[in-house]
Amino acid sequence: MQYLALIYGEEGRWGSLSPEDREREMGEYMALSQADVTRGGNELDSTATATTVRVRGDETLVTDGPFAELKEALGGYYVFECDSIDEACTWAAKIPAAKHGSIEVRPVYVDGGEQS
Amino acid sequence: MKYAALLTNNADDVTAWEQLSSEEAAAARAEEVPKWEALFGELGPTGALGAGFELDSPKTAKTVRVRGGETLVTDGPFAETKEQIGGLMEIEAEDLDAAIAIAARIPVVFRASVELRPVIEH
Repeated sequence: MQYLALIYGEEGRWGSLSPEDREREMGEYMALSQADVTRGGNELDSTATATTVRVRGDETLVTDGPFAELKEALGGYYVFECDSIDEACTWAAKIPAAKHGSIEVRPVYVDGGEQS
Repeated sequence: MKYAALLTNNADDVTAWEQLSSEEAAAARAEEVPKWEALFGELGPTGALGAGFELDSPKTAKTVRVRGGETLVTDGPFAETKEQIGGLMEIEAEDLDAAIAIAARIPVVFRASVELRPVIEH
C-alpha cells in the first residue's frame, strides 16, 4: 500500500544551517530517496513561490501564496510503499525534518475500503 | 516546469463525507468519477500529468515527530485548516500560466482550491 509523507518544517531553517550540516542532511534525504520503500517524492520550492487557484462561478481567482498560512510549511513529500501505516511512520521518522518539524503520513485512497 | 498541485477539499465537505454510509459514499463517488475521467482523458495525451495521488480522509492521518531521539506519533493531520489536502498531482507545464489553466479544471477547484508549487529538480 502507498502512503504519502508530507514534510512540514520551518522555512528559514535551511538557510541558517552550516555547509557541513546541509551536506549531511542532504545526504540523509538522498539515502531515503533511494530506499526500497520509496516510490517517489519531490522537494517543493518555498511558499513564497506558491500560487493558489480557486474557481467560483465562472471566475478563476488566482492568489499568491499557499492555501493556508502555517507556522511550519509544506516543503516536500515522499511516497512510501509499506505494509501498514505504522511501518510508513517508522520511515517518516527517518526523514531529517522529523527532528525539528512534523511529518504527516496519509494513506493513498484505495477503492473499496480504507487502509489501516 | 514541473509543479506539484496540492488538491484541497473544504473541511466542512470532508466532515459531511465522513458521516456518509458506505453506500452513500459510493454513490457520491460515482457522481464525481466521470469529472476526473474527463480531465484525465483530455490531459493525459498532452503529457501534462505525472504521478497523482488521492489521499484517504484526514482522519486516517498520523503525524510523526522525533524529539530528543524519541519518535512521537499522534493521530490526525498536522494542521486543522479550512481547506485540507486531499490529493496531489504532479504537473508538467510550460509556465505558471499554463499550470494555472490546468489547475482551474481540477474538480476540487470549484469548492476548495489547488495550490501550485514549483518542484526543485535535483
